[in-house]
Amino acid sequence: MAVQKIIGGVLIMKKLNLLLAILLVSSMFLGACSSKSSGNSDEKEITFMFRGGEDEKTAYTAAIKKFEEQHEGVKVKIINTDADQYSTKLSAAVSGGNVPDVFYLDSGSIANYVDNGIIRDITEDVEKADFDLNSLWQFGVDIYRYDGETAGKGALYGLPKDVGPFALGYNKDMFEKAGIPAPDKDKAYTWDEFLKVSQELTQDTDGDGEVDQWASGFNATWSLQSFAYSNGASFLNEAGDKVTVDTPEFAKSLQFFSDLSNKYNTTPNSSQSETLDTYQRWMNGELAFFPVGPWDMSAYAKLDFEYDLMPWPSGDAGKSVAYVGSLGLVVSEMTQNPDLATELAIYLSADEEAQQTLLDAQVQIPNLVDMAEEWASDTESVPNNKQEFLDIVQDYGVPYPTFATYNSQWLDEFWTNITPVVQGKKTAEEYLKEIQPKMQKLLDEANEQAKMSK
Amino acid sequence: MASHRCLLLKGVKSMSGINPVVGAKDVKPKKPKKQKSSALYKQEHRVAFLFVLAPVIGFLLFSVYPFAYSIYASFTDWNGLNRMNFIGFDNFVKLFQDPYFYQTLYNTVFYMIGIPIGLGLALLLAIALNRGLRGTTFFRTVYYIPVISSLAAISIMWAWAYNGDFGLVNQVLEIFGVQGPNWLENTSTVKPAIILMAVWKGLGYSMLLYLAAIQSVSKSFYEAADLDGANSFQKFLNITWPMVKPVTFFLVITNIIGGFQIFTEINIMTPTGGPEYSAASIVWYVWQKAFKYYQMGYGSAMSLILFIFIFIVTVIQFYLNRKSDYSLD
Repeated sequence: MAVQKIIGGVLIMKKLNLLLAILLVSSMFLGACSSKSSGNSDEKEITFMFRGGEDEKTAYTAAIKKFEEQHEGVKVKIINTDADQYSTKLSAAVSGGNVPDVFYLDSGSIANYVDNGIIRDITEDVEKADFDLNSLWQFGVDIYRYDGETAGKGALYGLPKDVGPFALGYNKDMFEKAGIPAPDKDKAYTWDEFLKVSQELTQDTDGDGEVDQWASGFNATWSLQSFAYSNGASFLNEAGDKVTVDTPEFAKSLQFFSDLSNKYNTTPNSSQSETLDTYQRWMNGELAFFPVGPWDMSAYAKLDFEYDLMPWPSGDAGKSVAYVGSLGLVVSEMTQNPDLATELAIYLSADEEAQQTLLDAQVQIPNLVDMAEEWASDTESVPNNKQEFLDIVQDYGVPYPTFATYNSQWLDEFWTNITPVVQGKKTAEEYLKEIQPKMQKLLDEANEQAKMSK
Repeated sequence: MASHRCLLLKGVKSMSGINPVVGAKDVKPKKPKKQKSSALYKQEHRVAFLFVLAPVIGFLLFSVYPFAYSIYASFTDWNGLNRMNFIGFDNFVKLFQDPYFYQTLYNTVFYMIGIPIGLGLALLLAIALNRGLRGTTFFRTVYYIPVISSLAAISIMWAWAYNGDFGLVNQVLEIFGVQGPNWLENTSTVKPAIILMAVWKGLGYSMLLYLAAIQSVSKSFYEAADLDGANSFQKFLNITWPMVKPVTFFLVITNIIGGFQIFTEINIMTPTGGPEYSAASIVWYVWQKAFKYYQMGYGSAMSLILFIFIFIVTVIQFYLNRKSDYSLD
């Protein structure tokens, strides 16, 4: 009897164990699924995935709170990731079929995501919403259009989170000290003028026999486009199927870019032009010219010298060109609540308070044209010529060359191998002739892939 | 699994066979009793099976399935976003014509120069720290700090140190009148620079393992050697070195596998792969292809090749180790 009791007890224990084991295993599966169900059936949940610093977090949290207050029973789940992990995380979410309802997408990836059926055509939803599309920058809206063939026109697939004009800044104090008139904000330097001023500003200020003040020190990846395009050259033809770097105009611009360092010695020294080392020199007041994006304003507000914005020097085409980027807010094709998701995107793109927060933090220019113009009309605070940012967005800005191509590999090839040219070990002409076929091959591959994914 | 189950059941049978209560003559009552006890064991077995099931499912779900999927993906033009089209061996054909594949593979192997350097230094340090000098604990901690620090933070720190203008490395060199290069932007210095950092980072770990191995060597060997008049180098060569060989083997294997997978340092210190791809490692290139250029299929093909490489190298190492293995009673 006693034995049987013990056996019975053991059996009960075993059963309990079995139960526990089943619970354990099943809870694993439940755990995997529970994130999807949202408890209350009439409560809607929208997920928003983004990357950004404290300022963006603050601005968007407030905007989202307001959004939630105005939409009863709607909850927005915020997913914030590190900037350098964002694209990997997004890819994983997409291949896992778990796309957030609203998320950041680089303007260059729009066509790709549309072709693969991941993001939603929001043209109608935006029209239906109580919102005037014209209150945003036209550039910032059009860059999210795509008609199935060409990016930049057709149906609307996103709204700008920001527009990022890459203006040229100069050290005002340095010009004053050198007795050189400050650059005209309405008339761009020609290359000759730019070179002349550059040479005058490159000096040994403390007389120890070593140059300690330079004119510039540009990073090719973000600045060469200005030089090339303002000289009538381009990376890519209009149709996006031919790499056009093997032209005399392009060679002239790249050579000029390289000569600034290697022939005229107006930059710190050649091996540094590929890094952002020159950033620190600019901050120290050792450089006369340096690119300025809206996101730089908060850091540059603490500079020991006064800076201002000017148009980029222009080559033979006679007109300044500047790079302008944009990050977009897009809506998932698979979203359960397309209206709400689109509305959230509108909120994040165009909510006045959120835009004001970001403007106060000096990390971006407002998406709302009126607000931006009012801000730019203040010519007292530094930089005085804020209008230059707006001019780039409205007038002379161009998107990054890979904006309409399937991927950026063809252009990365160009940057990867450019070092000998910026170091003066190879002529521009030689390099361009050699690199064009390689870029063309990668572009052809990309275009083929784009066709396959349609 | 099935054979394992049989064995268990066999065990149950033979155990009840030994049971003296069950008489040899009376066959009938034997059966229910036998069933009863085997039911208990079966039950227990089932529970055990469930416990085993959890990690097995985990392994299937998170290791085998992705692995199989990735193998399949390497035969497709998958872009990571949408449908996959089967394209046979196209990725592999392209792969073997891709100059960057060879370049990044070469870079990756080049980085492994750091392994013998690191292990040599670690062994020297371990021997030094084993002398029982003052401050041993302090130095042990100092050398181990990089190991427990975040690799990303360390990479950022070293990228600053290598900065051509303001970097610590060049500032120190300047004291000695040497004009240092811009380490990470120069095709010939970027790899040594990264190796130096990797050695520094891994030193503490190897050192600690060596230290443990050295301390577990029986003193009697050294005493015997002393009696025979061996000098300290001979003692090192004939006692210490063979005795720590298993640790060396372990470190070489883990370092080579880790070396093939070097990524974070590269991605943070040279975000564009360095000038002319001189710093890009194979895993970095895989990642670039898969996530940046939307060529997940191609990336999968490359990682499959990488897997085969690591597998072959490890098999060779195990073979070599078995050949040189010996035991000391």
